[in-house]
Amino acid sequence: MVRSLVVLGFTLFSIHVAAQQPPVNPVAQSMVDFHKRVDEYMKLRAAITKKIPEVKETGDPAKISAREQALGEAIAAARPAAKPGDLFGPDMSVYLKKTLAEDWKSRSPADRKALFEEIPNGLQLKVNQPYPTTIPLVSAPAKLLAELPMLPEALEYRLVDRYFLLRDRDANLILDVLPGVLPSRTR
Amino acid sequence: MRTAPAVLAAALSVSGLTYVAATPAPTRAASGVVQQAPQAASSQVAPPREPGSVRFAVIGDTGTGTSSQYEVGAQLTKSHQSFPFEFVIMLGDNIYGSERPQDFVNKFEKPYKTLLDAKVPFYAALGNHDDPTQRYYKPFNMNGERYYTFAKGSARFFVLDSNYMDQAQLKWLEDQLSRATDRWKIAYFHHPLYSSGEKHGSEVDLRTQVEPLFMKYGVDVVFAGHEHFYERIRPQNGIYYFIEGGSAKLRKGDIRKGPLTAAGLDTDFTFMLAELGKDAMQFQVLSRAGKPIDSGTLPLAEDPKRPAESKPPSVR
Repeated sequence: MVRSLVVLGFTLFSIHVAAQQPPVNPVAQSMVDFHKRVDEYMKLRAAITKKIPEVKETGDPAKISAREQALGEAIAAARPAAKPGDLFGPDMSVYLKKTLAEDWKSRSPADRKALFEEIPNGLQLKVNQPYPTTIPLVSAPAKLLAELPMLPEALEYRLVDRYFLLRDRDANLILDVLPGVLPSRTR
Repeated sequence: MRTAPAVLAAALSVSGLTYVAATPAPTRAASGVVQQAPQAASSQVAPPREPGSVRFAVIGDTGTGTSSQYEVGAQLTKSHQSFPFEFVIMLGDNIYGSERPQDFVNKFEKPYKTLLDAKVPFYAALGNHDDPTQRYYKPFNMNGERYYTFAKGSARFFVLDSNYMDQAQLKWLEDQLSRATDRWKIAYFHHPLYSSGEKHGSEVDLRTQVEPLFMKYGVDVVFAGHEHFYERIRPQNGIYYFIEGGSAKLRKGDIRKGPLTAAGLDTDFTFMLAELGKDAMQFQVLSRAGKPIDSGTLPLAEDPKRPAESKPPSVR
């Protein structure tokens, strides 16, 4: 009887304490989860780059492109089932889309026009595909980058067509894609 | 923080029009300065003026492999005889299109072969058409970094990756600028903070991120490309801005002259020569035929923190 009362009391206390805890910031939690996934990717990448080390400065561009290709192929092979959203994750995808939409809304018509001029379109991009080497690399604009979670130096965000990409810089490999982040150009 | 120069005294020679501007620098409205390319063909490169000055050439948006790039390359080489610049800065879009080994040959090594053979170093910034792995290409002297700094004589150069101005780069930039004690601070990168180009225009996003640092730490001159023309911007917040993105590509009729434009040319291919002296920068802009397009003297801004004398030469 006494034991039951103690257990009941403890349970009620626990419920009370839990009710007093501040709610977890969902965006912060999404960021934490995103960084965990990025960290996991970086561990995988580090293991691969032990076998395909960073190229030293060279006057032979063939060595640079060969290393880029080898690294890209090895990473893709190590993530054969990678699909859109694996790294961004569902929560982060919502946050990114919202952030990108707000950024777009804040821009002047002239700025939007200039961005559309810069961003290549008419593309179909997939995870584990090399970034097309014949089109420009358009960054997320500087103001937008300041709003996004920081990445390790090996990775970067890019805007292409209506996609928001996560790209491995030295492997020239698309790691994740978030489609439909920019309005259609016909609007 | 330094103060803006009270007076911009520039002797300008623009396609046959020669005038001397004594301009209360940043506020004067633009006059009609966008000019047509000159027709004459003789080379008129002015020699350096000060012994011990830092001399360099500026080219941007070069990597096409087209005849225009080769023509500018030939003229750049020729100008080196009269104006023996020590090095060349590249403002990005170093290799357009595919980046196969033969592209590095045809779009860089051949057009500047004589200079490369003469051991004139090139220091590249990345453009939006450049794969960041170009930083491993030794002739670009990037030391494997997207953004880097190097010193020449009394000047320090800050080479930025304006394609990707993330917080890590901004932190690096502030750290480097705060530690720099060089008499001249020069920044260069691909996207222009100020531009009168119709197609692209000013990169306001980027400007809000980097210009406060330039102002805080006394950057004197900023070079950018991206726009396929030459433009000298009226001084902004005490900083001289140039666009030289017409060294192989041209977007004719793209300059919309307005309050930003001090001088510009969008009808011929160009390159720049610059000399950093004790108290002023001399510059001259030449067409692929070697004709003077723009030139002048830009006084070093007053800055109580600036070293009084040039430091001995140093590299990197």
